[in-house]
Amino acid sequence: MSDAAPPGPSDVFDEILALVRPERLLHDPRATGEGVRVCVIDSGIERTLLAERFRDRGQELQPIEGAVFVQGRAEPLPYDGRQSAPHGTTVADIILTLAPRVRLFSADIFGPQGSSDAEVLIRALHWAVDIWKCHIVNLSLGVPEQRLNPVQRRYQLLRAVEDGYFKDVLIFAAAANEHPLTHSYPAVFAPPLLSVDKGPFDDPLGFDYALNERIEFRAHGRGYVGPFASEPATSWAAPHLAGIAARLLSLRPGLKPFEVKTLLYWMSRHPLT
Amino acid sequence: MASDRAPTEPPDPLARVPRSAPRSAADDPETVLIVDDEEPVRRTFREWLDEADLDVHLLAAADAEEALNLANERTVDLAILDWNLGAGSDGLQLLEDLYVFNPDIVAIMITGYAHQATPLDAMRMGVRDYLDKNQDLDRNTFLRAVRRQLDRIRPARRQKRLHTGLVAFREAVERVLPLVQTAAALNDPLSLPEVVASLFRFLLRSTGARDGVLLVRDYDPARQPAELCRAYDVQGETLSTPLVPFSRSLAGAAASMGQAHLLNHPGESPLAVELQAFERGRRSLLAAPLTTSPGLQVIVELFDKPGDGFAESDRQLVTAAADFGGEVLRHALAERQSHRALFEAIDLALRASDSLSATLPSAGSQPTPKQAGERLLKPPPLAVMEQLSESLGGPGPHTVAADDALRLAEAVRTLALKHGPAAVRHCTRAVESLRELLDELGGVEEAGP
Repeated sequence: MSDAAPPGPSDVFDEILALVRPERLLHDPRATGEGVRVCVIDSGIERTLLAERFRDRGQELQPIEGAVFVQGRAEPLPYDGRQSAPHGTTVADIILTLAPRVRLFSADIFGPQGSSDAEVLIRALHWAVDIWKCHIVNLSLGVPEQRLNPVQRRYQLLRAVEDGYFKDVLIFAAAANEHPLTHSYPAVFAPPLLSVDKGPFDDPLGFDYALNERIEFRAHGRGYVGPFASEPATSWAAPHLAGIAARLLSLRPGLKPFEVKTLLYWMSRHPLT
Repeated sequence: MASDRAPTEPPDPLARVPRSAPRSAADDPETVLIVDDEEPVRRTFREWLDEADLDVHLLAAADAEEALNLANERTVDLAILDWNLGAGSDGLQLLEDLYVFNPDIVAIMITGYAHQATPLDAMRMGVRDYLDKNQDLDRNTFLRAVRRQLDRIRPARRQKRLHTGLVAFREAVERVLPLVQTAAALNDPLSLPEVVASLFRFLLRSTGARDGVLLVRDYDPARQPAELCRAYDVQGETLSTPLVPFSRSLAGAAASMGQAHLLNHPGESPLAVELQAFERGRRSLLAAPLTTSPGLQVIVELFDKPGDGFAESDRQLVTAAADFGGEVLRHALAERQSHRALFEAIDLALRASDSLSATLPSAGSQPTPKQAGERLLKPPPLAVMEQLSESLGGPGPHTVAADDALRLAEAVRTLALKHGPAAVRHCTRAVESLRELLDELGGVEEAGP
């Protein structure tokens, strides 16, 4: 024991958390996303393209499963390994780039018709949580406030997000900050999920806690594959933070959403050097 | 014997109009003609029929000449004929003459010597029953015979009415179709190529882009192929080049982003999409989705701005232009869609008419009156309902689900068949009253999409 005066309560946490350096956590060789199930609720994933892309880097991906959720149908359609649009593939590629050993699930809620609604999103959320037992859900999409009327629909979406939270599922949602006058859901359901804006980070593992309105985090905003991936977008920022969370979960699978959020908050105060 | 019709009143010109005008078969009850040269007999038959409240239109004539005059004015469905009309004429001869006016006429023959009648000829002429004045003719036997014939006549008459209606419907549709097509061509206020060309004139001038393409993708899972894509150049002309599937295209990516995006030096990063022929070799690209209508995705792509390519200011400008451009395009496309929807609806209606005709019996397989009546009271076959549902569910601002609308229509149709036009009028009044009541209670609002 040290002879020094016992530290105050804040010093205890400082001391403990000082050991939790971002470098130590994120660069741990075990921080690969192994054992973590991640659902990408988006426009589908082009499975072959990603498999070949990572095989070229000497990495073998876990099998990607999925389903296509369509309006007016309770059961999803089978996933044939194709994307409905490239957006989802770019998102999946970001998560795999940061955590290549995650087990990906593609919930295509746009399908060939190219449009979706809140009911389909809610069904996909429940499916990801209850059927696929995912630990992380990425939502690089936004539902404008006016499309969540009547208000019961908004509460249904909130309940689906809360349901994930109480089942220890981390839900990352992209902030749609291009429309400053309107709220974009579900990102503004900040407390039970992690809302993510794009930030000025060169490092893909860079992020910070920057509370702005109801958006808490910012992350690297550029993707790696896809026609518009190189342009900063919140759609690409959310999967970066999801990928970071997957790394953390592969180190300690039992972390609860609020614990991960606290860790991310703490790590953002001690940026990577 | 003299006729018991009102003798020599001056004709009322207004009252005559309905007689000479084409009568509406749907509104008329069955017409029963009594022909007997004895006035007390005619009067007695009339009283029996009036008291029985059979909902028929009654005519009476004392002789063949008068009967034929009446038949000339109004289709007679059932004739109650005295076999011996006096003055040398008989009921069977009269029936033969009445047959000229209505080949579907049936008759009950009143005779004093039924056993001597010539059944075969009579049956051929439409005599369906005999009543013997000397044996079994009383109120009960008379009304039983009349009711039996009316029960046979009514379903067959409804069926014929339906056929006539279908024929008239087809003729009307076929007559109006060329007019509609011509009007659609003349009234097309916004030509799509013109709209596209105008949009590009503005965008090219504003951004400095050298070229551009507008991609329109229409997706309908019920159609084969479900996806239809078309590309227009800056003049609004359709490009004939084959297009890659939308899900693997740059336009598909732009649509999924939901806003305008830049792509300078596209060869420098993995695109994960297949480039269209008109996109290959471009140095810079700006793609923006336009908001049009559900099921329709429209993306404008601008190419090759000289210098460093497109900038953020160009993206903002195109985003703003996409809003009003989408509005104008929506209008132009809606015009086309509404015309197309109209033609499709007419086509579906004609097919529905064919299906309905096919469900009705042909001449060779006449159903029993009971079967015919039951079928008419049933809803149309599923195929017909589906076609009508499709036509009702086509593009357009429908405030009521097609199935609900069809159910309502079917309920009214059944009401009309069972209880006649008065019941339908009552139903209409009830609906209007309900609407007025709801308007008063909740205030009138514009129907939402």
